[in-house]
Amino acid sequence: MVDEKKHSDSQSTMLDKIVVPGDVVLDLSKLSNQTIKLGDGLRQDCDSITVMKSGKLRFSKPNKYWVESSQKRYVPCVDDTVLGIVLDSKADNFLVDIKGPAVAFLPVLAFEGGTRRNIPKFEPGSLIYVRVVKANMGMNPELSCTDVNGKAAEFGALKDGYMFETSTGLSRILLSTPTCPVLEALGKKLSFEIAVGLNGRVWVNAEAPSTVILVANAIMKSEPLTSVQQRIMVESLLQRVQ
Amino acid sequence: MEQRLSNTWKMTNNEKKFIEISLLSDLRVDGRTSFQYRGLNIKFGREDGSSEVQLGKTLVMGSVTSQLVQPYRDRPNEGTLSIYTEFSPMADPSFEAGRPGEFAVELGRIIDRGLRESRAVDTESLCVLAAKLVWAIRIDLHILDNGGNLVDAANIAALAALMTFRRPECTLGGEDGQELIVHPPEVKEPLPLIIHHLPIAVTFGIFGDGNVMVIDPSHDEEVVMGGRITATLNANGDICSIQKVGEGVMQSSIMQCLRIAKGKADDITTKIRSAVEAHCTERAARKIKRHPSSSVAVSISRPDTVMMDKPTQKGGGFSVDKSEESCSHASNGIGSETLKRGDSVKASVGAPSNWDPYSKGVDANSLKTSLAVSGRSTPSKEHKESIVDEVMDEEPISNVGSADSKPNEAVQSPQLQQQSSEVKTLKDAVKPKNKRKKKTPS
Repeated sequence: MVDEKKHSDSQSTMLDKIVVPGDVVLDLSKLSNQTIKLGDGLRQDCDSITVMKSGKLRFSKPNKYWVESSQKRYVPCVDDTVLGIVLDSKADNFLVDIKGPAVAFLPVLAFEGGTRRNIPKFEPGSLIYVRVVKANMGMNPELSCTDVNGKAAEFGALKDGYMFETSTGLSRILLSTPTCPVLEALGKKLSFEIAVGLNGRVWVNAEAPSTVILVANAIMKSEPLTSVQQRIMVESLLQRVQ
Repeated sequence: MEQRLSNTWKMTNNEKKFIEISLLSDLRVDGRTSFQYRGLNIKFGREDGSSEVQLGKTLVMGSVTSQLVQPYRDRPNEGTLSIYTEFSPMADPSFEAGRPGEFAVELGRIIDRGLRESRAVDTESLCVLAAKLVWAIRIDLHILDNGGNLVDAANIAALAALMTFRRPECTLGGEDGQELIVHPPEVKEPLPLIIHHLPIAVTFGIFGDGNVMVIDPSHDEEVVMGGRITATLNANGDICSIQKVGEGVMQSSIMQCLRIAKGKADDITTKIRSAVEAHCTERAARKIKRHPSSSVAVSISRPDTVMMDKPTQKGGGFSVDKSEESCSHASNGIGSETLKRGDSVKASVGAPSNWDPYSKGVDANSLKTSLAVSGRSTPSKEHKESIVDEVMDEEPISNVGSADSKPNEAVQSPQLQQQSSEVKTLKDAVKPKNKRKKKTPS
C-alpha cells in the first residue's frame, strides 16, 4: 500500500486541487533526499509521481501523499472507523462486510477483555461499529472492536436505528471538524444519535421514527449542496414536519 | 466462497426492523407517503426509439429496433413484438451477467403481457407481404441502476421507446412488382408505430401480513416486503394484467389498489405523452434548423481559416499583421474581409511601443501547459526561445504579429483593438509556431 521513495521537502504545486489520472504531481529528481509515502491513487513512474484516479490531492505532514475522492466503493485503510454488517460467524472470526472488495475478519477475541469464554454473539445482519487494524494487499482486512489501548471505547453493536449508505466523500464531510452545516442545523432542533463510518455507511437513531427519516434524508440530500443551501434545506424540512 | 458472499446484497436487521416499524405508523424511509410515486424523468436518445427513464434512483434504458422477417405460420399477416431484458451487474451486484435470472424473466413477462396481450401495438400494420415479410419489433430493456420498482420503470421505458420509434417505409416495386424497396430515412420519412393505448404498470408492495400497502416500493422496501402486486392498466381504466407475488391480501385491498393505480396510470400517461410530444417537436425542429445553423458556423470559422492561411503563404511580418487584424475584427463581428485588410495598418502602429517581450513566453506557457510540473521544464526553454526570436527579428512589426503578446496589447491599447475572446487567443498561441519555423531559416 505504501510506497517509499527518496525525496525532498518541497511540496507539489497541486495540493488540494482536483487531479485526474495521468497528472504528474511530483518530480522526484527535483527534490532533495527525503522519503515520501504514497497512498491511494498515486503511483511512481521512474522519477515522476503520477495520479491513477480522479480526486483531490492531499498531503499530510511530514511526507504522506494520497488522492481523495468520493465513491460508492470503499478501500480499507488502517485506523479507519467503519460500519460493518456481520455476515457469518466462524470459530475464530466473524465475517463482516465493510463495503470493501473482500470480506473483513473480526477476530472473536478482538473485544475489550475478550477471552475464549466470553465470545459475544452477533446474529448475521447485525450492524457493528468497528476499526480497521490490518489492510494489506491480497489479504482480507482485519477489524477490531477496541481502540488502540484495548478499550471498548464506542465500538460494538449498534441497536435499532436506521442505517443508510452514502458516498465515502459525504461520510468524510460528516466527520470533519468544524461540524458540517447539515449536522449543525439538525442538531440545533432535534436530538438524535449518529454513527458515521468512513466506508460510507451512516447510522442514525432517535426516539421517533419520523426524526430518523428526516435526519437520514437531510444528510443524503446534502451532498451536492453548499453550506448555505444545506441550512435552507434543513429548515424547510423541519418546517414541513412541524 | 467468502468472496462470493460480499457480492450478494445484504441488509442489516436494524434497517429491516426500522422499515417495518415506521411503515406501521405510515412513514416511509424516503419521506414519501404510502401512495406517493417517486419523481419520474423521461429522456430520449438522438436515435429514434431509444429512451431513458429515471424513477427515483432506478434507471432503465429502452431501445426499439426492427427487422424484416418471415411471419409465423398461424398469423401470416401480423408483425411480431418481442421484449428482451438485460440486467447488468453494474446496476446491482446481485444480478449475474449472462443468463437472465428469475426476476429478469418475470419482468419481461409482465411487460410483455401488458403490451402484447392487450394489443397495444397494432401488429397488423407491420405486415409488408402477407405470409412472406413482416416487421419484427424488438424491445431491449437495459437496467442501468436498481433503485427498486424495476417493473414500472422498465414498462415506461418500453412505452416511451415504442412511441418514438420510426420504422423505415417500404414499398413493393421492381420489374415484377414483387421486389421490396426499403426507403432510407433521407428519401422517405420513416413511419411511427400505431399504438392504440398505453398500458401502464403500477406496482404495490405488501407488508405486514397484507395489512400495509405502499405504491412504488424502493430498493430497501423491496427487500423487506412480503409480497408485491403489479396492475397494468391504461388511461381508460381497462385492466390489462395483474401480477401478484407473495403474501395474500384481502379482496377489498386489491380493489383499493386498482383504484389508486388508475389515478397513477392517468398521471404517468400524461407524463409520457407530454415527454414524447416535446421530443417530437424537437426532432422536427432539428430537421428544419439544419441549414441556418450550418451557415452561421461557416461565417464564424472563415476568419480563422484566413488567419491560418496568410502567414504560410507569404511568411512576411506584414502579412501576419493583417491576418491578426482580421482576426480581431472577426471577434468584434464587424465588416467583411476586404475591410479588415484595409484597416490593418492602424493596429500595427500603436502596438509595438507597448510590446512586452516577457509576456510572450509567459502567455504561451500558460496556454499550452495546464500541468504544473510537466510545464515546469518547458517554461525556461520557451522563454529562451522567445528571447532569441526577439533578437533575431530586427523588425519590431513582425514581433507584433506574433499573437502571443496580443492579449497584453489588447489591454494596453483598448482604443485600437478590443479584447478578443478566449478562443481567439488560443488560436493565436498556435500561430506563431508556424511563423517561427518559417522565419528562422530565412
